[in-house]
Amino acid sequence: MEKAKFFGKVFSYVLRGGCAVHVLQSHFYEFTETRGESMLPTLAASNDYVYTSKRYKLGRGVEIGDCIVALKPTDPDQRVCKRITGMPGDIILIDPSMENKKDDKSKFDVDNKESFNKFIKVPEGHCWVTGDNLAHSLDSRTYNSLPLGLIKGKIIAANDFNQPFWGGERGNFWGFRKVSNNYIDDELEETIVPTIAS
Amino acid sequence: MISQVYKNGFKYAYRTSLLMITWVPVMIVMNEHICYVGKIEGSSMRPTLNPSSKASDWVLLWKWGIRSYNGIQVNDVVLFRSPTNPEKIYCKRVKGVQGDTILTRYPYPREQCHIPRNHLWVEGDNVHSIDSNTFGPISTGLVIGTATRIIFPFSRWMEIPNGGREARITKLDAFVD
Repeated sequence: MEKAKFFGKVFSYVLRGGCAVHVLQSHFYEFTETRGESMLPTLAASNDYVYTSKRYKLGRGVEIGDCIVALKPTDPDQRVCKRITGMPGDIILIDPSMENKKDDKSKFDVDNKESFNKFIKVPEGHCWVTGDNLAHSLDSRTYNSLPLGLIKGKIIAANDFNQPFWGGERGNFWGFRKVSNNYIDDELEETIVPTIAS
Repeated sequence: MISQVYKNGFKYAYRTSLLMITWVPVMIVMNEHICYVGKIEGSSMRPTLNPSSKASDWVLLWKWGIRSYNGIQVNDVVLFRSPTNPEKIYCKRVKGVQGDTILTRYPYPREQCHIPRNHLWVEGDNVHSIDSNTFGPISTGLVIGTATRIIFPFSRWMEIPNGGREARITKLDAFVD
């Protein structure tokens, strides 16, 4: 009887603790491992841990250039980590690199190339996501635009445990660095640059 | 003496409320992963749900096991986040699962549609509904749960009956023969 009571108590504590951690992870903040080469310059292929803010889940307030964690549309058991490269209404050139390998003859004849003329308009409530390592990434170019409802959070920082604790090349404290929005608006730059020159 | 009783009363209330707070995450997790209730609004599932516009139906939302293989089957009623606006939740009936070929209806640009891997074709029982004929197949990742039973107006307590049309090409061919 004593034993049953003890195990009941332990079970209750484990249940409550586990659920609290789960709620924290799914609604507020998560620290988790990422794997794969698709985000290579930004995130390492293995042993890289990311800090995810769940404030941005369901695509609330995400912008072009943000790193996000989302469910893969073709396999919701898997989570992918990509960068947003198009928001609703944007017109995207799908993948100009597609045909380069097939025919070298027309390499510089851009106008006649089919892959240079394939555009898509990102529909409402969707976004266009690509990996930073375009050559080794399964992303919107394959499974089309991603519904914002599948977004689980935004990556705000990362730790690389391949690095030494202090004084690594990516930063101190196991290569801690912030993952920031690296989008550069060309139109904006053109308007700013001449004013500085004059 | 009386102050002692008050003190114990406060202590008891404090302890009980703390204890109850520790169970809140458990409830949230249960509602997110096992079952929940959902209120149906709008006329897109008429006549199965919301037969009259007077009262809304409440349904039992079953969430456990919808991610497993065959977790969602044809003719299940599902609630899912709208692909066009993630803050909206739609209630529709599954008319095709991965691998099926669907005979589409009016707003869809093509006559037939092949459902990709881990996607669903959803339609309202009512013809006047915004469904997969407008926005195409949806990813199963958007599904929140399957509605299994009407629970609230107690007069309508029942399992959700079948409804809608048959949309799969293979079944339609068999029907013609």
